[in-house]
Amino acid sequence: MLEIKDLKASTGDTPILNGLSLSVKAGEVHAIMGPNGSGKSTLAQVIAGHEDYVVTSGSVVYKGKDLLELDPEERAREGIFLGFQYPVEIPGVNNAYLLKAALNAKRKHHGQEEVDAFEFLKLAKEKMAMLGMDPKFLNRGVNEGFSGGEKKRNEILQMAMLEPELAILDETDSGLDIDALKAVAQGVNALRSPDRAIVLVTHYQRLLDYVEPDVVHVLSGGRILRSGDKSLALELEEKGYDWVREAANA
Amino acid sequence: MTALALPDKALASAVRDLPDNALASNREAALARFLERGFPTTRLEDWKYTDLSAVADISQRWLENGAPAPSAAAIDERIAEIRSAIDIEWIVVRNGTITGAHDAAAGEGLSISTLSEVAHAPGFDHPLADLNAALLSDGLHIRVAANTTHERPLGLLVVDGADSQPGVAQARIKIELEEGAQAQFVEYHTSIGDSDHYANSVVELSLAAGAVADYVRIQGRDRNHTQTHRTAIQLEASSTVRYSGFDLGGRLIRNDLDIDIAGKEATALVGGLYIADDGQHIDNHIRIDHRVGPARSVQEYRGILAGRCRCVWNGKALVQAGADGTDAEQSNHNLLLSDRAEIDAKPELEIYADEVKCSHGTTVGQLDEAALFYLRSRGLDRQEATRALTRAFGASIVSHSPIAVAAEHLSEVVERRLSRLTDGERA
Repeated sequence: MLEIKDLKASTGDTPILNGLSLSVKAGEVHAIMGPNGSGKSTLAQVIAGHEDYVVTSGSVVYKGKDLLELDPEERAREGIFLGFQYPVEIPGVNNAYLLKAALNAKRKHHGQEEVDAFEFLKLAKEKMAMLGMDPKFLNRGVNEGFSGGEKKRNEILQMAMLEPELAILDETDSGLDIDALKAVAQGVNALRSPDRAIVLVTHYQRLLDYVEPDVVHVLSGGRILRSGDKSLALELEEKGYDWVREAANA
Repeated sequence: MTALALPDKALASAVRDLPDNALASNREAALARFLERGFPTTRLEDWKYTDLSAVADISQRWLENGAPAPSAAAIDERIAEIRSAIDIEWIVVRNGTITGAHDAAAGEGLSISTLSEVAHAPGFDHPLADLNAALLSDGLHIRVAANTTHERPLGLLVVDGADSQPGVAQARIKIELEEGAQAQFVEYHTSIGDSDHYANSVVELSLAAGAVADYVRIQGRDRNHTQTHRTAIQLEASSTVRYSGFDLGGRLIRNDLDIDIAGKEATALVGGLYIADDGQHIDNHIRIDHRVGPARSVQEYRGILAGRCRCVWNGKALVQAGADGTDAEQSNHNLLLSDRAEIDAKPELEIYADEVKCSHGTTVGQLDEAALFYLRSRGLDRQEATRALTRAFGASIVSHSPIAVAAEHLSEVVERRLSRLTDGERA
């Protein structure tokens, strides 16, 4: 589903990704772990199409298409969803408006009929119930005045509504209490299917107690140093990131 | 002779050609004053950013043609549109003439007359008010009786047309709320036609002790047309005015809003939204004179600017000696969607009293790139995301508009305006 080869990307004059390769197949859950500044978030942003990052070489192929050719909105409509590490507060833009506009933009792109207000509300309330969210969040500004946990749940709500084929969740677990973490994990697990892939970008292995990854990668210095199964996450937790770096340098 | 004068003889003859009524001698006096001073020029601090040359030019060409009554074929259609959009009683000032049964909406506690009927000679304190008084065929006089509440908003529709030749039209409305009276007004300015047009209007609103007025002004003039508009509000003790102005159209628009706080415990909540793009110039000057205290004034304006345009916002609060207990706030925020848009924003506080609370804040900014990317990452294209963020920027002013019946129409017209504006940005 996603094939990244020798990807190099920089912001301004600073190279951040230094020849990163990654292959994600449908049905898989990947965890990308790494210390702060290793390039985890940059990778997520590059896949979503953030214009602050310039790809200097390498390729990203998604469902057989050159992803780097697509605008951020085209990537979203093609089924990519980025759960933001820091969801943006947008006062005055209604949460319901965003969810409906996003859903319909995707449906239109795929030649499907747009959902009407009634269908939308039914679907949104269903997803919110699953995530333990109060329906009143629909009428609030996007993330406006939300707590950290509410913002992350809101990201998962958007993901649940849009049912992406490739979901990249950037530190969605950070700063969450146990209830919010469980709600997020439930949202992610509900999305798991043979047709979809999920990439969890995370600093800690805590989320992985609730969402079991098929593959774990360790990112450092803008490259993947090591890949393995879920036991790698536990080993990392125990030995710290220096262990991987030392092993890679040896 | 100033740089922006009008030809004396032609103007005098236009004044003398007006229908004879009780205002005639007042016109002559106003004419003499205007001829002395002419249009204000950019040499005056208050007019530094707004050049009335275009207005003088239209007026001159209109006079050269013999000052014909302007008109446009589609004017009835426009009136019908507005009537159906906002379902209230409307008094129509059409091409400067009060039309139809202007007193149809009058009733218990509400009297509606023409200025000539009540022999009220409009005052003149400014060249533009002089010009208005000189060229005014007749104006409106509205009075809300003491301790009455007029539930339904009253519509004041100023509609102008200029199909085939340059047009000039005046409108004058005087509104008095007696003690404890309450009323709502929707003042709507619109115009139509391909020729140049200059509308010059004056509204005087006085609130006696304890009166409450909700007021919405909507300006949606044709993009060829110009307007200068003066609103003077006088507030006696414990009266409250809530005023919102929306400027969506016009080529050259200048609004002066002067509020005189003459009584203690008066409240003036004023706000507005201006939306401009290619070729538009919209200037809002607000002056609130706190003569006594305690009293409170709030100015909250926002501007959305795209293309090559210029807007001016000058909000002044003057706190006179002895007006202790004054609370005056000002805010003006501007969203620039293009690097060719220009805003001259100037908050001014002039304070001569000791015990006052005054604040002001002005910002000029672009769309938040992080928010734009966030929306695009959810599948909204740049245009839709821009529109959502722009709409959100103006939403606080639209939602604060004090009259419910106008709010829905306002949301619609603002939305239409923003759609055209953001479509233009992409092109």
